[in-house]
Order: sequence, then C-alpha cells, then structure tokens
Amino acid sequence: MSTPRPLPVPDEVSAPYWAAAAQHTLVIARCSRCASFVLPPGQTCPHCHSVDPRFRFEPVSGTGTVRSWTVVRQAFLPGFDAEVPFVLVDVELTEQSELRMIGRLLDGPAAALRLGDRVSVAFEDVAPGVSIPAFTLGAPA
Amino acid sequence: MSGRFGASNQVALVGYAHSVVQRHAAAPLGVLTLDTARRAIADAGLRTDQIDGFVTAPLFPTAGAHAVEDGVSTVSATWLADNLDVRPRYAAGFQGIGQMPGAVAVAVNAIAAGAADYVVLHRAMHNPPGRYHGNPMTSAGGAQQWTAPQGYFGPLSMIALPYNEYVQRYGASREAMAAVLVEARRNGARLPWSYWHGRPLSAEEYLAEPMISDPICRYDCDIPVDGVAAFVLTSAARAADLPHRPVYVSGYATSAPATRRLPLHWPLDDIMAVGRETTRRLWESAGVGPTEVDLPQVYDGFSPFVYFWLETLGLCPPGEAHRFVLDGGIDSDSPKGLPVLSGGGALGNGRMHGVPQMLECYLQLAGRAGERQRTATIGVACQSSPHYGGAVVYSAERF
Ligand SMILES: [Zn+2]
Repeated sequence: MSTPRPLPVPDEVSAPYWAAAAQHTLVIARCSRCASFVLPPGQTCPHCHSVDPRFRFEPVSGTGTVRSWTVVRQAFLPGFDAEVPFVLVDVELTEQSELRMIGRLLDGPAAALRLGDRVSVAFEDVAPGVSIPAFTLGAPA
Repeated sequence: MSGRFGASNQVALVGYAHSVVQRHAAAPLGVLTLDTARRAIADAGLRTDQIDGFVTAPLFPTAGAHAVEDGVSTVSATWLADNLDVRPRYAAGFQGIGQMPGAVAVAVNAIAAGAADYVVLHRAMHNPPGRYHGNPMTSAGGAQQWTAPQGYFGPLSMIALPYNEYVQRYGASREAMAAVLVEARRNGARLPWSYWHGRPLSAEEYLAEPMISDPICRYDCDIPVDGVAAFVLTSAARAADLPHRPVYVSGYATSAPATRRLPLHWPLDDIMAVGRETTRRLWESAGVGPTEVDLPQVYDGFSPFVYFWLETLGLCPPGEAHRFVLDGGIDSDSPKGLPVLSGGGALGNGRMHGVPQMLECYLQLAGRAGERQRTATIGVACQSSPHYGGAVVYSAERF
C-alpha cells in the first residue's frame, strides 16, 4: 500500500486557514496591531513585534509573482512518490512586499517559467474536507 | 563599545584528531568518538585527566524519522566525559545552527572565563541505515503544516529555491558550479581520511548527473557519513608549553536573527542581507577584514553556499561568484586562486558539518599540513548558510 500525502493538522491558530482552504478560499493571517500580513502566524508579529498580535485571517486575491521554483524529481515524503516530477513555486503574494508562500504549480513540469511570472491560487482536494493551496500560471480563472 | 572580541587571540587550538570518514563505520559512533578524543588529547601533549572541559554541538541533522540516541546517532559532551571517566568542571553543547563555529565560541568563552583550562571540542556525525532524509509522515502539524502538505520538505528543495533564484537572476551556469565540485573533490581526493580519498570528480561527470530538485543534483550535496573530529583548546599562555604551534581564535560570529519564514524557506535576499550582517560582525569581532584573510574556508554542505559565502564575506562582488569560480578564482593549485576549498570542504570529505573548514585552518596555520602546506596567516572557517550559520577567524600569530 502506498503512503498517502501528509495532511495538515489544524491547530488553534491555523484552523481558520484550513477551513477556508476547504472552501477554496485563500486567507492569510493579519496582525490586529499593525495590519501586516504574516505567514506563518507565530506567537508574535514579526513586523511590529507585538506579543499580542491577535491574528485574524482575511481573504486575499490569491495572485502573486514567481520569485523562484524547483522541479522535485525525488520525493523525500513517500506520499509524493506518485507525483514526481512536480514543480514547487516560491510566490510573493500581491498584497504585501516579501509576503511569500510556497505551493505546487499545477501546470506541470514542462511549463516554461521565468522570475516574475504571474500566478494565481488553485486548490488540490486531497481528502474529504481537506484542500491544499497551490498555484497555476496566469490570472485567476 | 568596540565590537572586537574581548578574548581575541587569547585562546588557541593546540591539537586534533580525525577519524576515517566512512559511509558506515564498523565501530559504533561512541567508540569512534572515544578513540578520536583520546588521540586528540595525546596529540596536544596532554593526559586525559588534565581535560576539564568538554564541548560539542550534538545535532543529528536529518529530516528523516530516525531515533536520536546518545552514543549511537549523536555523542553529547557529557557522554564523552563519562565514558572517558573524566569529571570535568565544564560540559556544554551548542544548540544553534553553524555547529562548529557555535561550539568553538562556547569553548573559547569557557576558557577565557576560567571555567575550564583544557577543553576537548568534538563533532560526531552519523549516517543512519536507510534513507537519510526520507520521512513517511502522513500528517503535518506545527510549523510543517504550512509546507509539507504541498510537498515542500527536506533540504534539497530548501537549497534549490535560493540557488535557482541566483541562477535566474545572475545567469549562473552549471559549468560554473562544476568548477566548484571539481575543486572540492580534487582537494578531498588528496586527504587520506576523506570518504572521497583518491576519487576526484570531473566536470563532465558533474554535468552528466541528473537533477534531484532542479538545479540541485546529487553531487551538489555532501554525502552522509560516519566520522568524528576532536580538537583541543586552551589559553594562549598554556599553549606556549605544548608541542604544536598554537592557532589562535581571533573572533567569531553566529548569524541572527534570520527573517521569519516558512520552515526551510531561505530566499536569496534573506541569505545575502542577514549574511552580510554576520560577516560584518565577524570582521569586527576578529579585528581583520576580507583583504587580510589568506585562507577563507567557505562552507559547502550544499554547493551554492560557496557562492553565498564568497559574496557575503566580500571576496567577490554580489552576483559575481559564479564568474569568479569559472575564471579560476577558487583554484587553490594556482597562485592566483583563493584557497576556499583547499581542505576539500564537505563536498570533498563527506558530511562533516564544518569540520573540514576548521581542520584546514588548523593544519595550515599550525604548519601541520604536510605536502599540502601553503603559506597562510589568517583563516576563516564558515559553516551552514551566511544567514543561518556562523564563522570563526583563526590566526597563526597573536595581533
Ligand atoms: Zn504587527
């Protein structure tokens, strides 16, 4: 039997993120003190250093630009053995400078990529009620 | 307040020992460490009962699901002291990243503060059975929930992203990185203890190797090994009575703080910006600058770190390291080349985590490099990433 892909384990902080993803909506944590988007949300805000950032998850456009990428040809998580080769993109989201997220590019390993290419969020439904944010090239569908 | 290290050149390396580096050693890691430590103590002209300090960095750097067991997959400072039957005044482990520079700092500080007179600093590296980084996890909680569900996992993809960012931004070729690998493996092939002893790598072999996580191939990664190194440190005053020429610790820096990111996400700009701050503090701590260094041993556990260190140390302009290496800038056999991988590095020795850089500084500056001896006065031993690691400046003379 093959190993399944690892599923996220939502916690107190991240639960709204995964609940929204299940509805195919990308939300990002935002600091209540300085309004900066933060990924991943931790104990403090890395922008204003508040120890009580009271992160709220807000929907974002899901658009961004490619800052880097790699083609994974050998999986270190056996759950991805059947998926290789696949592309991971390092994306700077439109909403804020240096707000960066890593996801699979669903266009496949043959897609021609350049730094600065525009991408839009997409979702992979990996289990009942569990969807993982990913990206596709171009503007939102 | 000056940034110069308060104990600059007051503590010295006075002896060492290094095990043979193998894929899987016949002896357990603890036994290998005991043997290596005893030989290092004897090399320094000391007896075991004179050692009153033990320092290491115990990290077992695997992403895989391997057990961590003291004496088997790692060797702590207290395990070594216990099994040498020594009751030291001081035993400590450095927990951060940049393990050798971090451990050197702990040892130097202990000696300078009078917490210990003679310190054994060791590093024991283990290659477990099975895949080093493979991990059969089926759920991802905590920090990994942000990356593992989409398949971003393990150090190869970690280094592939900033390396590809570099390649795309500056037009770096695979031929340039081939020059790095050829240099590391040619020097490693000359070392009797190296896993790659007698086995250089040609540019053609490098270029023919398939990708694992583009643009990273197998040869861009150091190979996991069983191996142990131990060094003996003491004060400059005590070092004067010992058999070997002392090599002084002039200063050190550990990178911090790195920009908060997703797990294993190391964007190129983070590496360079935080890394430049690391090296600024390094030069300030040591009281020297890049132009005074004639033995800059850069870290190469993944080959792109060579570019990142060359640029953050100020040995070539930003974005130019790939041209620099392609033009023979790191050819240590040429009088025009900088000896940055003359000790073989991790790519030419095996995954010894900063040991090859420190050992080359010690051997060359102590005049103990044998046939490989070159003229050198100031060395730097780097480890890990410039933004998430550290470096130490060594000197043959006190200044
Ligand atoms: Zn804030």
